[in-house]
Amino acid sequence: MLPAARWIAARIGRAVLVVWLVATIVFFALRSSGDPLEAILGGPGSQAGPDAVAAARETYGLDAPLAWQYLVQLWRIATLQLGDSYARRQPVEELIAAQLPGTLLLAVLALALAWVLAVAGATIAASSRGRAGRAVNAVIGGTEIVSTVMPQFWLGAVLILVFASTMRWLPATSQPGDTAGLVLPVITLAVPIAGFLAQVSRDALTEADAAPFALTSRARGAGETRVFLRHTLRHAALPALALSGWAFGNLLSGAVVVEVLFARPGLGRLLQEGALARDVPLVIGVVTVVAVLYVAVIIVSDALELAVDPRLRRAKRQSLAVPETAVGS
Amino acid sequence: MSAVTAARPSAGRWTALGAGGTVALAFVVVLAAAVAVPWLLAPVSPLAVSPADGFAPPSPAHPFGADESGRDVLVRIVHGARSSVGIGLAATALGAGLGLVIGFASGLGPRWLDSALGRVIEVLFALPTLVLALLLVAVLGSGTGPSVLAIGLATAPGYARILRSRVRTVARGDYVAYARLEGVGRARVLLRHIVPNTLWPLVATATLGIGQAVVWVAALSFLGLGQEPPSPEWGAMLGAGRVYISTAWWMTVFPGLAIVSTATALTVLGRRLSGATA
Amino acid sequence: MRTIRRSLPIAALAGVALLASGCAPSGGAEEATPQSGGTLVYATGDAEPTCLDPHVGGNYPQGLISTQYLEPLVGRDEDGTLQPWLATEWEASEDGLTWSLALRDDVSFSDGTPFDAGAVKANVEHLQDPDTASSTGYLAVKEIDSVEVVDASHVEFHMSTPKSSLMEVLSQQWAAIEAPSGLERGQEENCLAPIGTGPFVVESWTPQDRVVLTRNDDYVSTNPQAEHDGPAFVDTVEWRFIPDAATRQAALASGEVNVVDNPLPADIVAAEGQGISHLDAPRPASANRIELNTAQAPFDDVAVREAFVRAADPNPGIESLFQGTATRSYSVLSSVEPMGISDEELFATDAARANELLDDAGWTERNDDGVRVKDGETLTVRFPVSTNQSTAAEQSLFEQIQANTAAVGFDVQLNPVDLSAWYGALAAHEYEAVSAPYTTVGPDVLRILYHSDSIVPAPSGYFANNAQLSDPALDALLDKALGTTDDDERASIYADAQRIILDSYAVLPLYDQQNHFLFQGVTGIEALHTISTPLLLNAQLTK
Repeated sequence: MLPAARWIAARIGRAVLVVWLVATIVFFALRSSGDPLEAILGGPGSQAGPDAVAAARETYGLDAPLAWQYLVQLWRIATLQLGDSYARRQPVEELIAAQLPGTLLLAVLALALAWVLAVAGATIAASSRGRAGRAVNAVIGGTEIVSTVMPQFWLGAVLILVFASTMRWLPATSQPGDTAGLVLPVITLAVPIAGFLAQVSRDALTEADAAPFALTSRARGAGETRVFLRHTLRHAALPALALSGWAFGNLLSGAVVVEVLFARPGLGRLLQEGALARDVPLVIGVVTVVAVLYVAVIIVSDALELAVDPRLRRAKRQSLAVPETAVGS
Repeated sequence: MSAVTAARPSAGRWTALGAGGTVALAFVVVLAAAVAVPWLLAPVSPLAVSPADGFAPPSPAHPFGADESGRDVLVRIVHGARSSVGIGLAATALGAGLGLVIGFASGLGPRWLDSALGRVIEVLFALPTLVLALLLVAVLGSGTGPSVLAIGLATAPGYARILRSRVRTVARGDYVAYARLEGVGRARVLLRHIVPNTLWPLVATATLGIGQAVVWVAALSFLGLGQEPPSPEWGAMLGAGRVYISTAWWMTVFPGLAIVSTATALTVLGRRLSGATA
Repeated sequence: MRTIRRSLPIAALAGVALLASGCAPSGGAEEATPQSGGTLVYATGDAEPTCLDPHVGGNYPQGLISTQYLEPLVGRDEDGTLQPWLATEWEASEDGLTWSLALRDDVSFSDGTPFDAGAVKANVEHLQDPDTASSTGYLAVKEIDSVEVVDASHVEFHMSTPKSSLMEVLSQQWAAIEAPSGLERGQEENCLAPIGTGPFVVESWTPQDRVVLTRNDDYVSTNPQAEHDGPAFVDTVEWRFIPDAATRQAALASGEVNVVDNPLPADIVAAEGQGISHLDAPRPASANRIELNTAQAPFDDVAVREAFVRAADPNPGIESLFQGTATRSYSVLSSVEPMGISDEELFATDAARANELLDDAGWTERNDDGVRVKDGETLTVRFPVSTNQSTAAEQSLFEQIQANTAAVGFDVQLNPVDLSAWYGALAAHEYEAVSAPYTTVGPDVLRILYHSDSIVPAPSGYFANNAQLSDPALDALLDKALGTTDDDERASIYADAQRIILDSYAVLPLYDQQNHFLFQGVTGIEALHTISTPLLLNAQLTK
């Protein structure tokens, strides 16, 4: 299967390029903003003496020219040794490995919930006919728009106020492994994505339903359900599938906010703490992992898209499957 | 807005607004007034503290209640439109502007340029918006400038992609080919055919984008990376009010509604402008 | 000091502990009787420490958690009098250059190694070692030249210069005693689980989530604030990190956690009606204050400083924002410091007087925004605000002060920034006003904050004298107090020093460093009289 192998190799090659660029940007961004010594010596405002400062400079190789430090950092990333966090003195890999499952769990559950909501909404809307149908469509359309623009921290805060503080149905915080505590964070993360996926699915569903193949199917006497399951759903799923990559990026952004709000451990909180403390190895490590994951998800969703839609296999140049309407994740 | 409608070269004239669109337009007009002449709509200073009125609940004197320093929430929301929408506008302008340049260069330029720019776009996409914003904060500190920069940079790839595909579609269109055949110069072709047919979708998308940008600005304020006090920016109000949510819910709910309504109205308007059906 | 409370026999305690191993408190909330065992959940809103050893760095979050597993040499009672703890007696020589301490001989660290003079020596050396990067603890032992082990329970400190405040600062958690065997493991391992003599032991640390502490069953009661002999009552303490105040309060209300710190004023006020108990424990040393930079314009002119102070009018704001949980302070020192003096009249609000002072000082012109102008310069006050250290209520208070002083022509520019950027702005002298809380123990904090030596920055750029006061008379008084061991004399010298500081109008005191705790479903929570952290030794669950 040479073309497939070549396709994979090309994608991986580009992924490596992306990761390299990301690491470079992060390195120079953080280093240009301040002295990492602060983070090493116990945080800002530390009253460390001159001996401590000199010792730290030597140990962490901060005396060398910046270009050399950059190369060292790149080498470390390539050989997968991300170094030790300045602030916590623990290996970055360990910190990330400890926090990754929590964030991934939230992201996967939220994506699943978003899918379910989106398909349900799109199906109801597309199958409603007549005047009532138009009203239903309008309501669902409005709900979609509102859910895409709702600020997640606002939604989360309101959910906590209503369901945790007032009604006491659900806990405000959660331990990893606690199911009840997952409900509110997952809902908060899923809502904006559900809205967008619903919009796209609904558009695609409406088009697919009116398309010639559906007409032909119906003309041949196929029942609505059959038409729906065998044809239209597949076509509707396509853009939503393509969007899953973008959705993943959006989820990671949202995770930063949601983890802080619900006091959940995760990559988002780790990143925010690291950025504020100028903890260079930690931030580079987290951002690199995020970039790698993101690119991986996109490769997978591209592959799935190819599997689902034979038309795409023939196209020569594959571009990243990002929605034309999404203006930033 | 589906991929199909975006690619139609002749789409994008004023379609019927419909009930939803009209409401959205009316709201946007009021919003524009709040941005342009807030003093006409709310002739009270948004910065006037009055500790005695601290945490006043909604009442005829304070329709949306008062915040912790006794400042009227409605007045602050009206005056805050300038900051919130203004920053959203600036960020969108930056993003759309960058996207325009990259999109045109990609779509019309030589193939190697298209490839190279494509990689740049991939990199920017590989960094979720808030991650990019946190990085920029680490470099530049918090405030208006970094917010605009972060959101502008994060949204530019989206605009670039749309522009690029539009430009390529239009540039390969029949009438452009005929024009070239007739000997019309490249620049004229650009101005008379390509530009008019690509800008309208950009405007429609940008309208959508402003709404999104307003939400992002608020998110940055929530994380403490936003404007300086006592600016009545909506996100900052939300962030500050959230602390008191269990006792003074109006400090959080109303700014949040302002953000959601603004973004919704702009989104509906944007979708109408782009010719979508719902 | 023991109260006449029933003290459970150790055997019964152990038996119950085995039964209720680390689980949540049992159901059945029929009566609120204290019980043994169970898990106490503490939720902190402070930043998560990067190292559980308070020798490394030295901030309040480390103080909070290390109170449960590390103990210092001495404690204090509520009057501020030093009390024996791990050290039983202490005495300074005539010239103040030698301190002799007698230590307890019946205490061991939780790994079985004995607490002795050798341990004290190892700890002092650890604090002084540059690799440890200690800040607060280092300042405490800076003047100790050498430590002499006389015998297992007697140690001598040889000082480079007399330091009357030595025992006071040794009562801080950041100079608490750890096992030398623990220190020898190296910083990376010791940061994860320091070994001490305290009532609990660090069992595990899940970053960003919680630290789990288990009861030290071999605990010997040396704490002057212990109310019973022997180990703590609860089996386990879960120390959770919940940075968001609203979430934290929701967790307390729903029973997920038993104790929270940094509650919002509104929640403190509502607590009583909800059956939640409140502990108010102001932090020692300095009060919360705004300091004006006297080294550069416009606050190099004392008249302008006084004008600012007269116009600020923080009292209505403090009333409404803190809803009665904070009392206005007119002293540079915390109300728990017995040697503090205060002067309310000095800080009376008087906008007319403020205008007068500014006019007399030459700030007679105003620009279009109403800001005063002199020689082409506007009356601008840069005020960086640390979002980590200032609560929401405090930030709002600064906004109100901004509005009040704007009425007389000041242009206060508030700039909320993260901690790193905040220290950066201070190090670069890009401020005219700042609020920088400082926690230590004892009135010697005045020397740390207002002696001209403190203007000299550490290599990191940090310096403590934000007001940049450089007054030889003040310096002389503070140095003299350091060499005086007689408490009455010290009190008198410190009173004179505070007089100078207050009269300079370089400091606008606001209130005590707020330190409130809310708890539910548990009794026996009290604050250490040293650094006001909550002590869980006497705590018992009640549900």
